[in-house]
Amino acid sequence: MQNKLSFHQSSVSLEIIGLPDYSNNENKDQISIISQWKLTLVDKPLIEGKIEHLGPIMDAFYIYSNLLIKNEIPIYESKLIDIKADNLHIHNIILKSSKPNVKPLVLKIGNSLLSDTINCFDQLNESPKVRIKKTYIPTNIPKKLRFGFNKKVKFFNLFISPFIAICSLILFSSSFIYFYSPFENIEKKELINPE
Amino acid sequence: MTIWKLRNNNPLRKSYVTNNIKINEFDALIRITVEMSKYLYPYIREILKSKEDIEENSVIWNDFNKRFIELIKERFNMESMRVKKLLNQAENDEIIIKSLLILSFCISNQGYQKLKNFLYDF
Repeated sequence: MQNKLSFHQSSVSLEIIGLPDYSNNENKDQISIISQWKLTLVDKPLIEGKIEHLGPIMDAFYIYSNLLIKNEIPIYESKLIDIKADNLHIHNIILKSSKPNVKPLVLKIGNSLLSDTINCFDQLNESPKVRIKKTYIPTNIPKKLRFGFNKKVKFFNLFISPFIAICSLILFSSSFIYFYSPFENIEKKELINPE
Repeated sequence: MTIWKLRNNNPLRKSYVTNNIKINEFDALIRITVEMSKYLYPYIREILKSKEDIEENSVIWNDFNKRFIELIKERFNMESMRVKKLLNQAENDEIIIKSLLILSFCISNQGYQKLKNFLYDF
């Protein structure tokens, strides 16, 4: 008997079907060996597949949503799934089947369905009842800012005054600076020594 | 009272005070924002949805946008270029949608960490 777990968020639901890993002394209701998953979006065709497809699809949604809000070009392309923005509100998803002679499934979803889907995937990632290889979630603070917000502010305050001082000094002195011009010098020498 | 004071760290506000916000205060504001997003998710979702169908008259979006502009005019420094950009009807759609999307992506238990990372990445 297989276990079934469902995650719901407004118009999207994700169903995970699988078995516990008894060799690891897991509970009966745990799912560690996923045999099937189904993603249902209201008014859209059912999306289902094997475990090896779930990870890449979740990654695609996470990476795409990050690109979307970071003012970068929101395009994600892979062997399995492409996601592109039609405009600010509509996203075009192309799911490519691994079976030959099967046409790709094209879906158009809005921002509301996109956020529902991301929240369903978040629920799956956070569920203690499903053991799944962690997908791409940007939980680590970028290296450039890892030393902390307050320290960053202090660092900024420490260097901003001398930096402005140096800039203003350069700007002010640039109006008086003598630029060496070899052509002018040659002309002057010619005037002094007309030979 | 503390939260009210913290709001004044926003340089776009009329009542801006140049206090450096502390890391624990910054974290507290993120936690409050995430909890509010969880509570308001159905509304955030409806606002986003109302803008998706161009042919349909997006009443919810128009109401939200109108209130957003009213609040900015009331509380923000209108001389600032960034505030002027927020009020520009042609440009503010993208800012509002991206802000709503960020909030809607951060309603999970890990929402605090996600929102923090989004903010650091800006």
